[in-house]
Amino acid sequence: MNLFAETWRYLLDGSNWTENGGFLSRLVEQLLVSFTALGLAMAIGLPIALWLGHLGRGGFLAINISNVGRAVPTFALLALLVTLDWPGSGYFGPYGRAGLATLIALGLFALPPLITNAYVAVREVPLEIRQAADGMGMSGAQKFWRVELPLSMPLVMSGVRLALVQVWATSTIAALVAGPGVGRIITEGFATNTYSQGMAGAVVVAAVALVLELLAAVAQRLVDPVPRARAGSSPNREEQLSEPRPKVAEAADTVGR
Amino acid sequence: MKLRRPLAVALSTGLLLLAGCAGDDLAEDDNNNSDDSSSTGGAVTLGSQAFDEAALVTAMYAALLEDTGYDVETKLVETRPAYLNELPGEIDIAPEYLAGLGDQLNTDANGEDAAPISTSDTQETLDAMAPLLEEKGITVLEPSEANSQNAYFVTQEFSDSEGVTALSDLEGQSVTLAAAPDCKGRDDCEKGLTEVYGIDITLEPLGYASPETFQAVLEGEAQLGQTSTFDGTLEEQGLLLLEDDRGIQPAQNLIPAVSTEFLGEHPDVGDTLNGLMEVLTNDLLAEALVKVQIDREPVEDVAQQFLEDQGLL
Repeated sequence: MNLFAETWRYLLDGSNWTENGGFLSRLVEQLLVSFTALGLAMAIGLPIALWLGHLGRGGFLAINISNVGRAVPTFALLALLVTLDWPGSGYFGPYGRAGLATLIALGLFALPPLITNAYVAVREVPLEIRQAADGMGMSGAQKFWRVELPLSMPLVMSGVRLALVQVWATSTIAALVAGPGVGRIITEGFATNTYSQGMAGAVVVAAVALVLELLAAVAQRLVDPVPRARAGSSPNREEQLSEPRPKVAEAADTVGR
Repeated sequence: MKLRRPLAVALSTGLLLLAGCAGDDLAEDDNNNSDDSSSTGGAVTLGSQAFDEAALVTAMYAALLEDTGYDVETKLVETRPAYLNELPGEIDIAPEYLAGLGDQLNTDANGEDAAPISTSDTQETLDAMAPLLEEKGITVLEPSEANSQNAYFVTQEFSDSEGVTALSDLEGQSVTLAAAPDCKGRDDCEKGLTEVYGIDITLEPLGYASPETFQAVLEGEAQLGQTSTFDGTLEEQGLLLLEDDRGIQPAQNLIPAVSTEFLGEHPDVGDTLNGLMEVLTNDLLAEALVKVQIDREPVEDVAQQFLEDQGLL
């Protein structure tokens, strides 16, 4: 029996997608959990990190505190949270069983890449640009909103993109506490010795991770105020930002014709 | 080591079958058993599985056999095939479970995919496995009333308010079940509950009789939880077992499986073990198992106490 052929057959069987607890309902759960956890982490982490970046201090502390989140295994945290009276393992609306505990554990997991990237992004705005903004008489708020934030957006977004893909793939561990998501299909496959089912679950999670990565890459490109500056190998912002002048060779061509 | 049992058999029956093989061992065994014990004694090896319940019942066998003059050696292993393949042979007696034994013999003889021969009926299962037992050289003694099955529990309040005492009372209802992760698709679990009882099951894979499963039922997140018929912790938690009135659980009566050859040479073993089978019940074993699993008493002590209480020692 070929495991890959069996996996493929499992994926092609429509009832595995539509049944109660099938791929579709589990995917919706996992997308909800992942995006909500990411949203919560962004709402908490980004303002703090951007503000600290603007002030230019406290970032070391913030980054290291959030990095504790990397050191604590998400599974250990999740297992602990479900045994507590709150958040416990109860149903949490569309997020399913142990939904709240899963959201908290994943939200904390998403913080480190968000905070590190956002803080560094603001700090890395070139000093001469900040000085120019000061020289133009911008207030602190104006400087942040009109200079620092736009210029730091690509790096902030790359943190969001990193966090999204990490949170998505990690959210499968919710299955270990009988929580929401495609992980349930994977653990059930292994518990019943249906390895093709476990494999199929892993394939679906990986495929969606790739799709999310692509979408995030597009989003990252859209928020970049100077997109073409990043295309060249040695970006020269001033030249690329201004209207490209006709080059000598092109001009000569025109004349010759 | 390998020769000990055959030698003992040879001695006690006066047939020096393997006498040429090992004169030294022969003398040793001679000193150990034959001189002191009555004609019913000798060496006997028990084989069973290592989990608490099987270990406790095996300790009861051992204490009884020692009391009647046998020199008992016990081998506890993780899986059934490890000792069943040596019965008869290295192992003389296995404290067994009816359907577990029957289905194992069946797959050994007819391949991994052979359909189970066990049913929820004790006699039916016994009849179905009779030819396999004969072929293998095993004789089973009387099955005990004690029947170690998977079982499903609800809270006392749920039972009172919904009027539910048997699984069939849940027919047509939507029920959340906290059970082992491999429950889905099993005839004695999700599939059986759905197809035989017509219950709309939502499965939560929280584990077999695990703390999470008990918690889920006690807190009302699940209505039904999975445990064993030998679970002695239910009553004090305000939980009760539902009757499997349509029989989706195979009959797992406790039953001694004895090498036919060994039994022929030691017919007294049959009476000894049948006496134990007569006494054992689910409730008594559940009570004894609480001492092993909750109070962490050694199985030998619990077995000894149990047999004394029952007047068997």
